[in-house]
Amino acid sequence: MHSLKVRFIAVFAAVACLLWLLGLGWAVKDYLIGADSVPGLPVAGDEPQPVLKAYKIVALGDSLTRGTGDSEGKGYAGYVGDLLKQDGMDVSLVNLGIKGLTSAQMTEQLKQKEVHRQIGQADIVLMTIGGNDLFDGGQTLSNLTPENLASLGDGFLANLKSVLTAVRAANGRAVVYVLGLYDPFRDLESGDRTSSAVRSWNYKMTEVLSGYSNTVFVPTYDLFQQNTADYLFTDHFHPNEKGYRLMAGRLAALITGGGGRP
Amino acid sequence: MISLVQNELMKLLGKRRFMIIAAIIVVLLSLFTYAQSRQSEAVKERLGDVDWRTELQQRIVDWQNRLSSAGQWKDQLQIQIQQYQYYLDHDVNPSEPGAPTFIRGFVENSAELFLPLLVMIVAVDLVSSERSMGTIKLLLTRPVSRFKVLLSKYIALILSVSLIIFLFGLLSFLISAVMFGNQGWSAPVLTGFSVQGGELNIAGVRLVSQSRYILQQFGLAWFISLVVGTLSFMLSILMRSSAAGMGTMLACLISGAILSSMVSSWESAKYLFMVNLGLMDYMSGSAPPVEGMTLGFSLAVLAVWMLGALAVSFTVFMRKDIY
Repeated sequence: MHSLKVRFIAVFAAVACLLWLLGLGWAVKDYLIGADSVPGLPVAGDEPQPVLKAYKIVALGDSLTRGTGDSEGKGYAGYVGDLLKQDGMDVSLVNLGIKGLTSAQMTEQLKQKEVHRQIGQADIVLMTIGGNDLFDGGQTLSNLTPENLASLGDGFLANLKSVLTAVRAANGRAVVYVLGLYDPFRDLESGDRTSSAVRSWNYKMTEVLSGYSNTVFVPTYDLFQQNTADYLFTDHFHPNEKGYRLMAGRLAALITGGGGRP
Repeated sequence: MISLVQNELMKLLGKRRFMIIAAIIVVLLSLFTYAQSRQSEAVKERLGDVDWRTELQQRIVDWQNRLSSAGQWKDQLQIQIQQYQYYLDHDVNPSEPGAPTFIRGFVENSAELFLPLLVMIVAVDLVSSERSMGTIKLLLTRPVSRFKVLLSKYIALILSVSLIIFLFGLLSFLISAVMFGNQGWSAPVLTGFSVQGGELNIAGVRLVSQSRYILQQFGLAWFISLVVGTLSFMLSILMRSSAAGMGTMLACLISGAILSSMVSSWESAKYLFMVNLGLMDYMSGSAPPVEGMTLGFSLAVLAVWMLGALAVSFTVFMRKDIY
């Protein structure tokens, strides 16, 4: 080993050492003593919407949109994307579904700037909402009185209106598909009453949706009417993969069948 | 004195330790860059060709869905979500594609365990190997005081630590620049988040350029490595066997990583050095292991441990019988 080489490495290491000391000192100064100046932070502005080649789908909603219960975790939205891709469409899917979301929380979610922007770019908006409002964390099952259902329903419908208004405000041209509710409790003792509650909610949702342009109600009640257990996940509440595929098939047919093609 | 230091450095270079360290870094870096590029491909496949806002929004929603099943990580996740939401609200991309972003993430993740491990490779047998090989007698029969002998070894250690961090930075730059391109050095990073009572505090948030952030990260990483190196240095004096010193130090480091996630209710654990190694967390703004710990506190604790280790090293080395 030449001593010249060693000397060079030693000097080099010393320089590196000084550099790291500088970094350390700077970090200490910035994080302990406080940064010199705090420049103004930029705020997300209303940028021009980029032109997207792909057909953009934005899915909003609760655990059904998220895909809870699906072994592949795609949910109906993921399968719709798959089906459309099989059809040769260039699809970009953004899934903003959040487990347990209620209609009230959805109105809050829609106030976020970026969510607003995403919807603005969409060609299609898919939505499941209302299941958690009606189920109410299981409370409803033990309190199936008409009064309780009516009061839950009124709140939900009011929120649904503001959700649809917000979506329309963000995007005037996208087709909005709102999926209806199904009854996972048909087989239970109180199945008659839960089914009638779900049917009446679906009817009211259809009525609300009729007040908005390009807004389509997609029923799911019938999909889960026969052999309910076959299409439900082990929690007897969410659909399983088969159930989600049924929902997706219906949506994809609507979209490719002219319902939403640009 | 200078020639003594050079002598020590020459011994270290002769052992080819730095080659081994460089090889380890290269192998790991290739793995990580490959994993990273695969991940961004997967995102592209899932979302299509989208801008970063869409991707970030999707990630936030994904994490929100994970919250209910996050268990003990719930608070951490919540804070991370709020932080990302803040990035989104202020139109700052938290992961601008390019080499600097990769380096930033890599340093952040390796400063606590990986870099100290590399330093240990050099530090842990600095003295004990001389004892086991018997060369220490030759060294001490020279007309130099023991203090100077040990000091030269310690300076050589400091230089090696600096060299290792430099090697780490250089290699990660080269490899990630090839993989991701060399752009984004002046891209903004949001920093100054702090966590108070489980809530994200955004009062001190400011924008800094990525290059400045990375240099500061390296400074902190260097300090962490130096502390671990000094402690290993002490062990190499106290213990005859290098393997024993390595094992002890390794146990400390790993226990630190485990303890950090479970000491939140054991207040006095914050005086242990291994719980304080997460200096990077103060920069990125994730919650410290024990409520109320700050960068200043951690630096002070580490400095005290380091000075203590130095004091023990020099006292023991100067009094010890060498046979």
